[in-house]
This record gives sequence, C-alpha cells and structure tokens, in this order.
Amino acid sequence: MHPILANQERLGIYLLGWLIFGTMLAAVLALSHDFSWTEALALALPITIVYGAICLSTWYVCRVYPLQKTPFSQVLLVQTLAGIVTIVLWMMIASGWVLILERSFGFTGLRTRVLAKAPLLIGVDFILYGLTVAVHYLIITFELSKEAEQRELQSRIFAQEAELKALRAQINPHFLFNSLNSISALATQDPAAVRAMTLRLADFLRKSLRLGAQESIRLDEEVSMSISFLEIEQIRYGSRLKIVQKIDDVCRNCLVPPLILQPLIENAVHHGIAHMLDGGTITLESEWRGSVLHIKIENPVDPDRPRNRKGGLGLENVSKRLRAIYKDDARLQAEERDNIFHTDLWIPAQTSTEFHRSSPAPTFSKVTEQHG
Amino acid sequence: MGFRIFGESMQTIQAIIVDDEDLARSIIREYLAEHAEIQIVAECSNGFEAVKAATELKPDLVFLDVQMPKLNGFEVLELIERDLVVIFVTAYEQYAVKAFEVHAVDYLLKPFSRERFDEALVRAEEKLARREVLPSAEIIKATRSKGETVERILVRDGSRVFVIPAEKIDYIEAQDDYVAIKSEGTLRLKKQRLADLETLLDAKRFVRIHRSYILNVERLARIELYAKDSRMAILKDGTQLQVSRTGYDKLKALL
Repeated sequence: MHPILANQERLGIYLLGWLIFGTMLAAVLALSHDFSWTEALALALPITIVYGAICLSTWYVCRVYPLQKTPFSQVLLVQTLAGIVTIVLWMMIASGWVLILERSFGFTGLRTRVLAKAPLLIGVDFILYGLTVAVHYLIITFELSKEAEQRELQSRIFAQEAELKALRAQINPHFLFNSLNSISALATQDPAAVRAMTLRLADFLRKSLRLGAQESIRLDEEVSMSISFLEIEQIRYGSRLKIVQKIDDVCRNCLVPPLILQPLIENAVHHGIAHMLDGGTITLESEWRGSVLHIKIENPVDPDRPRNRKGGLGLENVSKRLRAIYKDDARLQAEERDNIFHTDLWIPAQTSTEFHRSSPAPTFSKVTEQHG
Repeated sequence: MGFRIFGESMQTIQAIIVDDEDLARSIIREYLAEHAEIQIVAECSNGFEAVKAATELKPDLVFLDVQMPKLNGFEVLELIERDLVVIFVTAYEQYAVKAFEVHAVDYLLKPFSRERFDEALVRAEEKLARREVLPSAEIIKATRSKGETVERILVRDGSRVFVIPAEKIDYIEAQDDYVAIKSEGTLRLKKQRLADLETLLDAKRFVRIHRSYILNVERLARIELYAKDSRMAILKDGTQLQVSRTGYDKLKALL
C-alpha cells in the first residue's frame, strides 16, 4: 500500500504542503504584476494540487529503486527521467486548465502570459519533484527500519518461546512433582537427605537452564546433566535404579546439542526401570568412530508393559531436533531386543564451536520402534 | 516377593498403601500414624502385590498410585472386582477425571500437605460409614476409556494376575458369564461379557465370527464350508471354530 494514500493523516499533511506551495506560487505570479491575484490563485492552486497528486506516483519508482540497494547515479538518472515524464504530463494538464480559464472564465491573454513564466514554473516543479522524492525515500527508510525492528522483536519472541518449549519438553514437570514429594517424605525422616536432594535438584535445574540456552555444549557437560538427573531419580527409586557410564575420554570434548540425551534418559527410567519389579541398570556409553560420535543408551524393559505413545514422542522430538541441526548427517535408532531397549545416536563429531560438516554419517532413518 | 502384613483388627478401618516408591509410601504411613482408627494392613510396591493384598486381606481403604510396574492403578481396581474406598495418590493431574469415573473418593496430587490428606480421609470415612456399595461391573466399565482399544487383557485367578498381550490371543470363547481366552496353549477364564470385550479389542485384528467366538484373524488358516450357511474357521494350530453368516461377511470385509 502507498504509505501516504493509506494513511489519512499523512495524506492531509501532504496536500496541505502542496496547498502552501500553490499559494506561494500564486504570490510569486501576482507579485510579478503580470497576473491579478484572482488569476494567480485560480491558476496556481489547482495545478499545484494536481501536480502534488501526480507526484504521489513517485513512490512506485522509489520502491522499485530503493536507495539502499541502488547505485546513487542510477537513482539520479531514473528519478530525473521520471521527473521529466511527470512534468511533461503536468504541463499537458496545466495547459488544458489554462485554456479552460481563458475561454470559460474570461481571463484574456492568460496563455501568452503563462508561457512567458514557463521556465519559472518548470524550474519550481523540478525542485518540488526532488523534494517529493526525498520525502518518499524518507518514509520508505522509516518504514523499513520499523519493520526490521518488529521482525527482530518477533524473532526474539519466537526464539524465547521455542527455548521454553524445548525446556518444557525436555524436563518433565512430573519429575519435579515426584522429587518434591520425596523431599516432603524425607523432611521428617532424614534432614541430611533432604539437603542432598535439594542440592541435586538445584544442580540439575541450574545446569539445564544454563546449558539449555546454548547452541551446543560438550558431551562431558551433557553427560553430567544426565547423571544429575539419574541421581535424583535414584533417591526416588532407591536400589531399583543403577547407573553405569562408559564415556570414552576422547569423546568428552565433542559438541552436542544441549539436553539431547535428557528425553532418552527419561524414557529409560520411565518406560524401562519404572516398570521393572526389581529395577535394573541404565548404561550410558559413547565412542568416537572416525568422524562420528556414537552415543548408546541401554535399559531393561518389561515385555508386558503397557505401550503408549509418550516415549515415542520423546524420541520424535529428539529426531526432529537432530534433523534441524544436522540434516541427514545424524541418526537416531531405538529398538527393543531381548527385553533390552537400545537407543543409539550417531552425530557428526565436532570439537570446535565452528560448525563444519564432516564426511557422510550413516543416513538418517525413522525410528524403528516406539519406546513403550 | 510378598507384601507385608501388619496384623488384623475388626474395629478399625483397614487400609493398604500401593505405591512403587518407598518414600511415597512412607509419607502416607507417617500421616496415618496420627489416625488410630486406620490400620495399615499391607504396603505394596507394584500392581500384582496390590491385587493379591486386596483380594486376600479385603481392606476397606486403598491409597493407590497410578503409574506402577506391571499394572497401573486403574488395572488394579479392575482386577480387584471388589467395592472398596479408593484415594488416588499421584503426581499426574490427567487421571483425575477417570479417577472420579471409577468413584474414587479423592485424588491427592503429590506432594500434598497433612491437611489435604486429612480432608481425603474424612471423605473416605464418611463413605465407609454410609456403606455405599458400588457394582464392580460399573467400575470395570469406567476403567476403560471409550474408544480406546486395549493392548493386553488382565485375568485374575484367585490372587494371581495374568497379563495376556492382545497379539498373543488366538481366540476368545463365551462361556455363560465368563469368557475363555485361548493364548499360548492355555485357556484362561475372565468374568466379562464377550460383547463388552469385543468393543475393547482392536477391530482390525479381532472379529466376532460367531455369537460365541472372537477370532484373532492372524491365526486363521482357512475357512471351510461346513453346511448350508455354516462355515468352519480352521486355525493354524488346527482348532476349528464355527463361523456364522454375519461373521463370515465380517471376515470377508476384513480380509
């Protein structure tokens, strides 16, 4: 939409400006003693307003040749040409008006007197045209910067929302409620254990908030976050939950997306250990093979456990995130074999913050089995 | 692994606590210590234990967690088939509606205060004093959400519970008030109507081939004409089941 035509207030100011120009022009003509004040006003006001209306079309030229992206010489050339076309068009309309005034209103000899002033009129029009162009460019720049500001604000809001959503998806609120229930139970039995539990919870929450906001973190940090989570769950599940970690030292500096293991570890607890009468061991392993970092999670599952889609959702989220970050270079596979649930994650091994694409990793495949 | 029994008394309200977490049970135990009228007769850490304790000890009141190993809280209720007062204790809000559908007196969200717990107890005691009896059939029906198909069937034999995954069922036969479920070479009886069970099973796999039979179509070997308008389904293990005319139409539509 035209920024002036679309806005009544702006259109009013714009036309008022041209009305003033018209009056000034009439004054110049009248003061030259070649025209009476009536003649000067009847001539200058309508043709100036019409000129102002024609000049609104400048916006379309300004839009096609934005100041920011067009060389200045080109802007100058194009606008001069457009100015000439505009003035020619205006001259035709103005001469028509002069004829009408001469014939219908009895302003005798107006045509000859106007022709004598033609260089003045054309000169003034050129200047006014230049002014209009400048005003339009100003408006365009102003709107662009406003738009950019809005866009930036919007993208900031989107980013924050996405971050919060990711955090919500990665940290199950029921984990918090259950942990608080454990604290409530321990309060009268074992104050030292209450303190240990709150410290572990605080540690885990702080880590996940701090690291979750980053684009990538070291595997070392990610694993320590998972272990913090599991240590809290150990207070709830007691001896039912055992943890084994085999992280190759060379992998510790590899970069991974933050909280990428969290949903997988949570699945291992809630769809695995939680359904086992005597519990079991969650194994977290990683190794560096060629250009690929391989992370493995294993947990026992009860073959008779009720199946639901929740664990599948967790896996799906991890898949989506991997795909968004690594395209086809990362792969997640989850399957149940002999009552053990195996979750395997292959991602390009990177050690610096600079993103570099490594040689082809195993191709991305759909999750083969939904975690129950 | 058995549950613990804490002795018996007829004057008091007998309660069992069912939760897979030691700490979650301990807080209920602690709150109950103030209530001399309530006696904890058993603590159970999984669904199987809960069914066993509920059928053998016949408690008046049960504190029931929802998510547990083996059986969830609703499945436990379905299997107990007894009228007893239930207080659900869980960290999950989403089961509240279903909990009241199965006539739970209260729904405690973890963590909960002593005051909130006592409130639930008052409700439970009022209900026990009124001696309201609920038809167990209604509870069983309510434990299953409408339109939701089951992936496993639970059968109780005395205080033992058998879990039969749907894919391992060969066929189900109506026997008076019971259904006989044939799975992995054994027949198990469950007190349920065949028509009710039919609505719970996945219609893409289980077909009512006869007034008395629901067949897992994956077990079907062939269909033979037996008499006019009467056919026989021959299963892969050689079992022969009668197929009615409408049953045959349903099978044809599916295969």
